[in-house]
Amino acid sequence: MPRFDLFPLVLLALLLAPPLGAQDLGQDLTVATWGGAYEAAQREAVFAPFAEATGQTVTPVQYDGTVAALLDRAGPEGWDVIDMLADQARVACAEGLLLRIDARELPGREALSDFMQPPTRCAIPQNVYARVLAYDERAFPGVKPTRIGDFFDTARFPGKRAVQRGPDGILEWALLAEGVPPEQVYGLLSTDRGLRLAFRRLDTIREDIIWWSDPAEPAEMLADGRAVMAAGFNGRFFDMAVRGAAPLDIVWDGRIIGTEVWAIPAATARPQAARDFLAFALRPAAMARFSEMIPYGPTRRSAFAQIGLNPVTGVPMRVHLPNAPQHGGRALIRDSAWNAHTRDLRQRRFQAWLERAE
Amino acid sequence: MSAASHSKHARPVIRMMILTVTALGVGAAASFAAIAFVELVSMLNSALLVAPRARVQWERLPELVIAATLLVPTLGGLAVGLIHRHLSPERRPLGPPDVIRAVQFHRPLPDARSGLVSTLTAILSLGTGASVGQYGPMVYLGALMGGAVRRLRMGVPNLAGIAISCGVAAAISTAFNAPIAGLVFAHEVVLRHYATQAFAPVTVASATGYVIANVVFERPALFLVEFAGVAHGYEFALFAVMGLLVALAAIGFMRLVLACGPWVAGLIAHPALRPGAAGLAVGLTALALPDVLGIGTETLRFATIEGAFGRGELIVLILAKIALTALCVGAGFSGGVFSPALLIGSLIGALFWTLASGIGGIATSGVAVYAIGAMMAFASAVIGAPLTCILIVFELTRNYDITIAAMVAVVFSNLVSHRLFGRSLFDVQLARRGMDFSQGRDRAHLAALPVRDLLSDAAVVMTPDDSPAEIDAKLAARGWRQAFTLDAEGRLAGVYSPSEGQKPASLIFDDDTSLADAMERMRGFVGDAVPVVARDGGRYLGAVSEADIVTAWLDHVARIREEENAAL
Repeated sequence: MPRFDLFPLVLLALLLAPPLGAQDLGQDLTVATWGGAYEAAQREAVFAPFAEATGQTVTPVQYDGTVAALLDRAGPEGWDVIDMLADQARVACAEGLLLRIDARELPGREALSDFMQPPTRCAIPQNVYARVLAYDERAFPGVKPTRIGDFFDTARFPGKRAVQRGPDGILEWALLAEGVPPEQVYGLLSTDRGLRLAFRRLDTIREDIIWWSDPAEPAEMLADGRAVMAAGFNGRFFDMAVRGAAPLDIVWDGRIIGTEVWAIPAATARPQAARDFLAFALRPAAMARFSEMIPYGPTRRSAFAQIGLNPVTGVPMRVHLPNAPQHGGRALIRDSAWNAHTRDLRQRRFQAWLERAE
Repeated sequence: MSAASHSKHARPVIRMMILTVTALGVGAAASFAAIAFVELVSMLNSALLVAPRARVQWERLPELVIAATLLVPTLGGLAVGLIHRHLSPERRPLGPPDVIRAVQFHRPLPDARSGLVSTLTAILSLGTGASVGQYGPMVYLGALMGGAVRRLRMGVPNLAGIAISCGVAAAISTAFNAPIAGLVFAHEVVLRHYATQAFAPVTVASATGYVIANVVFERPALFLVEFAGVAHGYEFALFAVMGLLVALAAIGFMRLVLACGPWVAGLIAHPALRPGAAGLAVGLTALALPDVLGIGTETLRFATIEGAFGRGELIVLILAKIALTALCVGAGFSGGVFSPALLIGSLIGALFWTLASGIGGIATSGVAVYAIGAMMAFASAVIGAPLTCILIVFELTRNYDITIAAMVAVVFSNLVSHRLFGRSLFDVQLARRGMDFSQGRDRAHLAALPVRDLLSDAAVVMTPDDSPAEIDAKLAARGWRQAFTLDAEGRLAGVYSPSEGQKPASLIFDDDTSLADAMERMRGFVGDAVPVVARDGGRYLGAVSEADIVTAWLDHVARIREEENAAL
């Protein structure tokens, strides 16, 4: 028995020892991530403190979040760590593009209970974002939208709605607007009847939809008056509102909470260094620093207590996080496995619905 | 019996402690068991592609989904049949009627092995998508936890029945997240009285189940609906009419459930194969109508959404669900009728609403209140528990207006079904096994007690060999006035008395005459004792004295009175 256990270790040592021993301290850690304000926040909250603590510098590279990019670029560009959407990580893990991570070692047995969502085989949740309904305060000086049903109520809240051209999120909202509780939304959307009902609800705002495909657009559409309500990501709306560019407000009811994970590409040459980085990035302090800069919530409960003001604007950040404990209303936790496995079906049905109109 | 057991009673303080500990222990055990049950079923549903949420994720492989739809219920049924056949001493699924019988007649539940096997097959049945309910098996599982207390001799009167009721209350409280309904269900269906001695521990057990379900596991409420209130006064008349119509459907459903067992038995000789055949029927139907598969949580929700079903679709689905549930239960799948009743009822409510608002053109306050009212009206007719059903609506929806509306439908449905069918499916099933509660608990108890248990051999018997002089001497010695004369084969020939000679007996009991019948027939009877003869062949078995019958009757009535009025 011991012989079998030692063999791979010895092999690993032979393969990895010479380059590691010589270059470990000097070599950069390459982290694939999203770019923009998101990456800027990561640099300040995670990468710089990590370099300070360990002496290893982190080189961020930008990618588009797809599994295809991971497949093509991770090896040649030497990616060591990757920041992904949970459902993409699930697909990549199934295809063997990510290293397995033993949750008992990383984040560790005691830390596990602190996580609001459990780690999966290859990925550990690092922050959460939300797909939310935002509206232009100028469009509704009197009664304001408060619930997801108001997005579909063109009689009380007339005006254009900015919606992503795709089935993500809007079908869930359509059922929430029918009074379906969040826990049942995916179950109902899994049936033909549920999809039919969702598209029927979508029919009621068909004439009022203005489509977007770049996540930056919905906030811009609200700002320049092309739309009065928009479905989009909470961080973008926050940016627009904080910059003072437009008086936007977010309706937290019906928010769809998605998870961003850390994972290690199978192509990495330095798995141990990648694990060290993850251990650092998953500390509550690092999560809290990140959430102070950009309104993406931490995945560990203990991190909430440490979140204070945005270092630049002085805005208290807790209230702007999608999973802040004080938000009431309904919240739907995005089921990444379901989303990954039903993408084709929903896309097909969405396309058919679009064509029915034209 | 009651006099004898009194002396063994523990002191009141001790009794109180025993009852409290029993309530907490049984409540917690039943609650954990119920949660484990639900989780296992839901895991199986996902793994075996019964749940829509799992099926849709394999949508790229339609052959796999079709194969699973056909094979999973069929093989599940086959497994259930074989397990019952070879592992269960009772060889059948157990359910609420067995619990009612054990509590009402102070008997032990069927053996624990049969109970555990029945729970296992219930998990299999529900997990593989049979059209049966989950609450019956959960009630039994809770009762099983309570039944274990019977083995401990604690010196508390009625402890066994109270412990079983605690388990039942906690199971319902956990399953529906409805502690008040759990408490009332245990009293309304199982205990059938409201003595403080039972009420207090059952309440504690129910609360324990609620705490475990809510505080420890944070399970969401089952059936939240948004409802602003009943818009028009005349809708209450509609609810009443709906209740009446739903009752007729429920009666049809219950008759079908009762008829299906013998029908399937006539069709398929081998009992182990019956559930498999029913499973295949479910699978075949589900190919065209996936809503019939399993518990149907999604379908239940759809019934509360306007326009989710077309009128024709509703009719087909209602008929299919009624037929398949009766078939599955009749064929021996392990599971209850309550969840299917909820589903069928809500679909009928949706249909009623479509007819009233669509064809009738009546303005209403939306489909949800009709679906929920009919759902509970149907279920209450089936389980015979109107109060429980009203409270379940209250606790599941947390909505006062919907509860008031459902209440009206529930009582009208109960009125009709009780009059035309019987108090509940359980009671009719029990009555067919000789335990008839339609005239009250006391009557049922006495009716279940055969007079042959009171036989004594003190009566003087006269065979053809005996001379009248010998018999006269024996009678005088024992202080009796009559002897029973037998023929050469030991059959009763008549009654002999020294003064009147031999005469035919004025009153004869059979070996299956009950105490209740005996009391009824002894009106105006004069004599020492009544002879009891075998129904087959007329052989004389012995005699019961009038005094013994009256004493037994008094003991039983006293015992029931004590049980129903016990404070501790």
